[in-house]
Amino acid sequence: MIEAVELSKRYGAKTAVDGISFSVKPGRVTGFLGPNGAGKSTTMRMIVGLDNPSGGDVRVNGKHYAQHSAPLREVGALLDAKAVHTKRSAYNHLRAMAATHGIPNSRVKEVIDMTGLGPVAKKRVGGFSLGMGQRLGIACALLGDPHTVILDEPVNGLDPEGVQWVRHLAKGLASEGRTVFLSSHLMSEMALTADHLIVIGRGRIIADAPISEILDGHGHSRARVRTDRPGELVRALAADGVSSQHLEPELLEITGADSRRIAEVALARQILIYELTPLQASLEDAYMQLTSDEVEYHSHTLTQTSDTAGSKEGK
Amino acid sequence: MAHTATAPAPGNAETPHGTTRGSGVNFGRVLKSEWIKVTTVPSTVILLSCTLIVMVGLAALAAWGISTAQGSMAAMAEQDPQMAAQMEAQGGMDAAALTVPSSGFIFGQLLIASLAVVLIASEWATGMIRSTMVAVPKRIPALLAKNLVIAVIAFVIGTASAFISYFISQPILAVEDLDFAITTDGVLLSIINTGAALALIAVLAMSIGTLLRNTAGSIVTIIGFLFVLPILIVTLLSNLADWIPDAARFLPDAGATQMIAPEIADDAFNQWQGALVLGGWALVLLVISLIVTKQRDV
Repeated sequence: MIEAVELSKRYGAKTAVDGISFSVKPGRVTGFLGPNGAGKSTTMRMIVGLDNPSGGDVRVNGKHYAQHSAPLREVGALLDAKAVHTKRSAYNHLRAMAATHGIPNSRVKEVIDMTGLGPVAKKRVGGFSLGMGQRLGIACALLGDPHTVILDEPVNGLDPEGVQWVRHLAKGLASEGRTVFLSSHLMSEMALTADHLIVIGRGRIIADAPISEILDGHGHSRARVRTDRPGELVRALAADGVSSQHLEPELLEITGADSRRIAEVALARQILIYELTPLQASLEDAYMQLTSDEVEYHSHTLTQTSDTAGSKEGK
Repeated sequence: MAHTATAPAPGNAETPHGTTRGSGVNFGRVLKSEWIKVTTVPSTVILLSCTLIVMVGLAALAAWGISTAQGSMAAMAEQDPQMAAQMEAQGGMDAAALTVPSSGFIFGQLLIASLAVVLIASEWATGMIRSTMVAVPKRIPALLAKNLVIAVIAFVIGTASAFISYFISQPILAVEDLDFAITTDGVLLSIINTGAALALIAVLAMSIGTLLRNTAGSIVTIIGFLFVLPILIVTLLSNLADWIPDAARFLPDAGATQMIAPEIADDAFNQWQGALVLGGWALVLLVISLIVTKQRDV
């Protein structure tokens, strides 16, 4: 259980985290989603006491992180995959970390096996790929078999197999009743992993809700439909919030109605549908909509390019 | 690949994770962790071997130089009775010979200071410090343990070097009858204090490294502090006012010199006063580095 109350962090004139309050509960994966520079890492660093808050308070299992007598057994954190001396081997790094809590070497070997680091455990960390660095960071986070696991951008640099492994790991930890707090700027990853989402932008919390609620509230369901009578189907669906786009003569993209409603309408009118595909990018839409005003670093599409793209779509 | 996070920990249902195995952080454990850290990077071994070799080598050179000087002076004295009388009065090179075991200190301190700086500043350079501070969030035990580890290493290396230097230099000094017993007044103390002074230098250096968080900057600062500042004061500033040479006795370098001296001039600080001067600097810098680190964002 992580509880933040009015937590703030200012660096000079810049406010990185602006009075946020939230709680991360055990038994589920809580995603911490936001664009780069939104304050995710700063918040996580304050949770484990690396940064002192400028205001407010954050506690883990009822105490400040530093007040726990066995912090690594309370909280395991991956904050920065490269927080390791580059000339030391992964095994020795874990051994040194474990020694602070009297964690036996058998546990060190356990987390090495668990994270698939076995073949490189005796090599210097300096030569590790980003993915191997992430695995070492995760191994370190799991050393103390902690109640609460905090992972900052854990899938960065991982290959698809590694991404899937982190997903299973996070869900597995939550199913054992642990508190899992996971940050990412990748909404697609969050959609697959998290049960609950805290969305942050420019140091403020924009949304704090179960993932399904965020999708319902902000995402527009979209579906791709192939039918031999597109015009009739569009007219039949015409209602508030439903819009459609002709992509090909018999291919429509419908926004604002879910697949089931489209199928019901088509059935009622006896319209033949030979493809009906729900489009998965809905969390992305919700996220873009939520954070559109809060993104710190906007990329601007060149006007000319977007004109060209528009004319192609409109053909 | 295992998908389950952990092997099921034995224990009751109330505290299913973590607390079932062993307990938490204590100073002994942090000390062990710091010991593992020091012994698992190659720079430690390289710098410590260099320190030992350089200190013993310098002592051997010093013994050879003293022995040669004594030889040429004796040759001159045979032709010049006035010089012979003068040498008799001063006791020849006997006093200089006594300083041979500790003569490696001047370079030994530079290498030990570098090691101390590297140990702490490399943690900042690599980001390791964040792992350290997450494991020991009270921070001060981690820094104290690191200081203690480097101090003990410096003491052992310094004392061992001085002992080896003593035994290696005796045959060289014996050529001119300058050899002396280890039980000679002040010699054993000088040998042990070579290690003790290196330990204090290590703490001073690690504290500066902790404050500056940067290897190159810290080493330059230490060289300035230990080597350049004393020269500057003696050569340029000492004539400006009477109190300046007096105050220069309170510099860490002057303290170390008195601390390792086998014989003390009448008006100079003795070994214990020298130790107080150097120890005072080390302690003050250590306390500042602890206070700053406790409050700083890592």
